Amino acid sequence: MSHQLPAILFLLPLFAAISMPVVCLKHRHWSHPISVAVLVVMVLVSVLNLYNVAHHGEVRYVFSGWTVPFGIEWVADGLASVILVLLSVLSLLGVVFAGPTSPKSLGGRIVHYYILILLLISALTGIVFSRDLFNLFVFLEVAAISSYGLVGVAGGRALFAAFRYLILGTLGASFYLLGVSYLYAVTGTLNMADLADKIPLLLDSKAVVAGLLFMFIGLGIKMALVPFHVWMPAAYTYAPDSVSPVLASLVTKVALLAWVRIIYWVLNASIAIYDIPILLLVAVLGSLAAVIGASLALAQRDLKMMFAYGGISHIGIILIGIGQGNQTGFVGGIFYLLNDAVMQAALFFLAGVAFCHYKVRTIEDIGRVGKQAPWLTGSLIVMALGMIGLPPTGGFFGKWQIILGAIEAGSYVSVAAVLLSTLLTLAYFVKLFEAIFRQTSAPLDVKFGEIPLSFKLTLGVTSAAIMILGLFSSPIVQMLLNHALPPGL
Amino acid sequence: MVDTFSAVIQRPNLLTFVIIFLWGFYIMVTRYNLVKKLIGMYLVQTSVIYFLVSISAKKGATVPILFSATESVQAANYANPLPHVLTLTAIVVGVATTGVGLALCAAIYRRYGSLDEQEIIERLE
Repeated sequence: MSHQLPAILFLLPLFAAISMPVVCLKHRHWSHPISVAVLVVMVLVSVLNLYNVAHHGEVRYVFSGWTVPFGIEWVADGLASVILVLLSVLSLLGVVFAGPTSPKSLGGRIVHYYILILLLISALTGIVFSRDLFNLFVFLEVAAISSYGLVGVAGGRALFAAFRYLILGTLGASFYLLGVSYLYAVTGTLNMADLADKIPLLLDSKAVVAGLLFMFIGLGIKMALVPFHVWMPAAYTYAPDSVSPVLASLVTKVALLAWVRIIYWVLNASIAIYDIPILLLVAVLGSLAAVIGASLALAQRDLKMMFAYGGISHIGIILIGIGQGNQTGFVGGIFYLLNDAVMQAALFFLAGVAFCHYKVRTIEDIGRVGKQAPWLTGSLIVMALGMIGLPPTGGFFGKWQIILGAIEAGSYVSVAAVLLSTLLTLAYFVKLFEAIFRQTSAPLDVKFGEIPLSFKLTLGVTSAAIMILGLFSSPIVQMLLNHALPPGL
Repeated sequence: MVDTFSAVIQRPNLLTFVIIFLWGFYIMVTRYNLVKKLIGMYLVQTSVIYFLVSISAKKGATVPILFSATESVQAANYANPLPHVLTLTAIVVGVATTGVGLALCAAIYRRYGSLDEQEIIERLE
């Protein structure tokens, strides 16, 4: 039974998504409880899967029993299992959050929303587990098509953002597919383990180098790495409030995970292409993204826009950790990825609550309701601590590990980039808190009343999770060190 | 120089792929009409699919079904079926993306009464 867990985890949301239009045709209000139930089961199964992998080693799942390297292989190793627990918990929270927000923000297309979000979750599960480059492409595209639909589902201003996302996302997917076909033309295989044996001997081949470059550009567009990030802030800002937390916390992080897979599992991380070490390239791109993303966030007035640019800078910080090429940096990067996913979800929940309940979109507006919104202000303080990276939160320990890794690797530019990005993050949160506490704008007279239970639940759980990830950082980092390291690191 | 040129001329399939890809990319970047952008996107996708098919072509080869059970297998007689399967999947993905793109175009047209990118951006502000 336990060796079927990866497939079960994938099929649960997929079947729910497919049966949703049939089951909920007459009873639209059933779609919310059904999705919540399916995702609760998924959380339990993913925890079971993590337990199983931690105690009995990784699970290899070969579809239809076609032997590797010809068949499609999925591997549930430590890294995939940890990410999957994160993915299922955050998507459960996202769907719980969608309960009261969705009727207003989705314009009546409630069933569409649940179908697409379950499809997105199953595709992300596929990306996390897959060890086949083409299979990865298919799941990237299923996830991307569901995201285009989700961004545009409510119409309005989001339509144009969704269209731009579609054009750039498809260009990225085409680049990725082109890279995969280059590699296939040279090596004749798509399986990651098989490629890992063949590629190190072929690094003189221009086709292999070009293929890798195309794949990196493609995945770079998907994960909103800095020169390719232009689609991301608008798409996440104008997406319906019940959609953006799931998109912002999961889609870019899972694309980043696919990149990590290719760098560490397909390529030997220490290789150099034409005398340029690829890890140096990753660290430099990460440093640029960390600093540029945070400086752009500083210039924003719209809450969601600011948080989206914050997400871009955090992608950079994760890449700095990944690019150090030692255990400390790698584990720091993955630990920061967990934290960042939770923080992005929390921030977009907060922006969703602020708009749905208090009609707040910009920094000036949030000052007007600060006094009346204890849950909003309280959780914002916790999230700000996490985003800046102050000690009791997970953000601090993630950055600490990354900086330790960078010092170990002797890369002081990376250390400087992390610190600079931290300072810029501090600056834009100071701007936010100034609006709330200095009361520069006149408070509104409107009474808003209590916020719904599910808003309190999602804000409370994510704020608590930011703290808990910090308090239990050493067992989590230890577990990542024991189970989630790539081969040869 | 001459060597490079003749190397390019000897690979007409790669040349065609590069031309279609860049043509599609050019259309995506320079045209303001959203449907034209979609056409460019579709050209880019199609060029990658064309590349996949062209690298799997083999002269004198046929479907990978054994001619006889007794003779030994001559790999030169059979074409590799995998790229074709990948191509089919990539076509399906491309069709789905184009469908979503056209649906978005239709919704944008209904809302803004225009498909011109600059007019829509003006109306957004």
